[in-house]
Amino acid sequence: MTTQSSAQPKPLRILILGGTGFIGPHQVEYALSRGHKVTLFNRGKTNPGLFPKVEKLIGDRNAPDGYKALKGRTWDVVIDNPTQIPRWVREAGAALKDSAGRYVFVSTLSAFANRKAIGMKEDGPLHEPAAPDAEPPKAAYGPLKVRCEMDAQAIWGDRTLIVRPGLIVGPGDLTDRFSYWPIRVEQGGEMLAPGTPDDPVAFIDQRDLTEFMIRLCEQQASGPYNVVGPRSTLTIAEMLYGCKAVTTSNVRFTWVDADFVLEQKLRPYADLPVWMPPRGNSEGWARMDCSKAKNAGLTFRPLADTARDTLTYYHAQTPERQAALKAGLAPEREKEVLAAWHAKMGG
Amino acid sequence: MMAKRILVLGGTGYIGPHLVEHALSRGHTVTLFNRGKTQPGLFPKVEKLLGDRDVPGGHDALKGRTWDVVYDLPTGKPKWIVDAAAVLTGRVGQYVFVSSTAAYRDFTASFPTEEFPTQDPAPMEGPDAASAQYGPRKVRCELLVKAAYPIATIVRPGLIVGPGDLTDRFTYWPVRIEKGGEILAPGALDDPAQWIDVRDLTEWMVRLGENGVGGTFNAVGPRTVCGIGELLYGIKACYSNDARFTWVPQPFLTQQKVRSWAEMPVWSYTGATTVAFCTSVIDKAKAAGLTFRTLEDTVRSAMAWYHTRPAAEQEKLRAGISPEREREVLAAWHAQQGGGR
Repeated sequence: MTTQSSAQPKPLRILILGGTGFIGPHQVEYALSRGHKVTLFNRGKTNPGLFPKVEKLIGDRNAPDGYKALKGRTWDVVIDNPTQIPRWVREAGAALKDSAGRYVFVSTLSAFANRKAIGMKEDGPLHEPAAPDAEPPKAAYGPLKVRCEMDAQAIWGDRTLIVRPGLIVGPGDLTDRFSYWPIRVEQGGEMLAPGTPDDPVAFIDQRDLTEFMIRLCEQQASGPYNVVGPRSTLTIAEMLYGCKAVTTSNVRFTWVDADFVLEQKLRPYADLPVWMPPRGNSEGWARMDCSKAKNAGLTFRPLADTARDTLTYYHAQTPERQAALKAGLAPEREKEVLAAWHAKMGG
Repeated sequence: MMAKRILVLGGTGYIGPHLVEHALSRGHTVTLFNRGKTQPGLFPKVEKLLGDRDVPGGHDALKGRTWDVVYDLPTGKPKWIVDAAAVLTGRVGQYVFVSSTAAYRDFTASFPTEEFPTQDPAPMEGPDAASAQYGPRKVRCELLVKAAYPIATIVRPGLIVGPGDLTDRFTYWPVRIEKGGEILAPGALDDPAQWIDVRDLTEWMVRLGENGVGGTFNAVGPRTVCGIGELLYGIKACYSNDARFTWVPQPFLTQQKVRSWAEMPVWSYTGATTVAFCTSVIDKAKAAGLTFRTLEDTVRSAMAWYHTRPAAEQEKLRAGISPEREREVLAAWHAQQGGGR
């Protein structure tokens, strides 16, 4: 561990593109707490009241000359949080490559072409990149991110830092993929638990990710880093009981095997988020290697923190938002599948 | 709620201070009765009456007083109940006695309700009285309490855990998991496990006093039927390290002379001589208001307290398999499975 020291690092001037979405706010807070000077660049539309004391530059990356607010300024680091549009990477590069020291791109483990191999390292084969002018939603996520990585490296060379997170979770997550589990556990009663208790799962608390990114900047790191947790193998049963441990729920898990789940047309990672049957082409999905990141100082909150804070965030949302989870099984569907499972297992 | 005048017999050991603190926080008036030897500095503002329940006239300090509720925390001696009753009968409304799951006749029977047959009560006198076992003595005490007071409340806890627990039976697991590495995990995920946080137990006992609730209650947690897997995985969630469990089936553990409850605390299995302690039916207590903290709360609080103990005590736990023995059993298991790791 080289970066655990609490000594204040050399202050950096950090420009964050975006910064007001899911992973931005904690990143900004952490960077400030480490003594860095932060500038936010965005449209000024999302959470405009955040960080009243932080400098904000306004611009729309989709508008002509959208980056003009950045002209004439210099930064040590640019962190590009929200991008999966290759054009944005190239335009940001053109606007900043001579005025910023380092470019940090948030890619994804989905950049890897192969989810079968267990222990995939950073140099594993990536998807074929999307076309240079490709954009979502037409082009697929993984190939777009690969194109972005390539374009970034072409512009910034060894001044490029690429983090490839797995599923980013925790308070603020708008996708509800991890959140579904503690929320469902808290509701109690009989609950569908997918696969077998030992199926591995992997995710990263957004706070662990963003703190690590700032520390990588302090280290002047470059190149790609797989960033996913937890520290050691976590099973789906450990995850579910870990969620239960932060509640007083009366939940009880009924384990429904992967074949039956698929037969019932439930989609792993969507209807049953986080979980992917560890076989076939997905065998390695939850077991990618992030020893490089761990050696560079990636730390992990306990699961209890992630689960508890996710629930706290959830309970602070509006009733409408709470009622409209974007991932996980609808209650009626869960009941149907459980009934079908019990019928199959002989009542 | 009417403030109660509460007499606590004992009150300075493990569960006593939790009970007293909660009773005070609820606005009740508390009197402690004990020898004045254990933690005499506790609760300086609380009235203390001194007496030694083992000596003749030991309960004299209680004479002529009246209380709404008496909590008898530490008693395993029937004679103590008799001597206390000689002074207190007619002067207290409710007597809450802490018994034990060990009151049940057959510890190998799963899911005991309060109606399950109990042990034959220990004799009051004669050659067998002194050598009577814990369970029979508790049963005799229960009978004496029921005969002596208008409202008798018998609480039968299982493993009481949390801050102040000196038995280390629960504590073994968070301590072991905090150390990380390969951990011997007993039996199967769903093998039964039960415990109760000392704060959940004592807060509920105070409520039983406030509401004047009599009767006999199993008093353990968690809220729902629990497996050892739920316990170990829940504890793991409180840490971030390389802890990993190797689940070793019960027959192999038995063959290795690794015992449930002692070397593998909290854990039991069907037919084990400890299974009654891990499967008590608690519907009645829940209906009477027993509530439960989160497991995370219990783990964090138990460990915060554990880390305040002297280093020597932290080193040498009173329950749980030793590190060397754990390694041996794991090695034997891997060898049997064909090829170590």
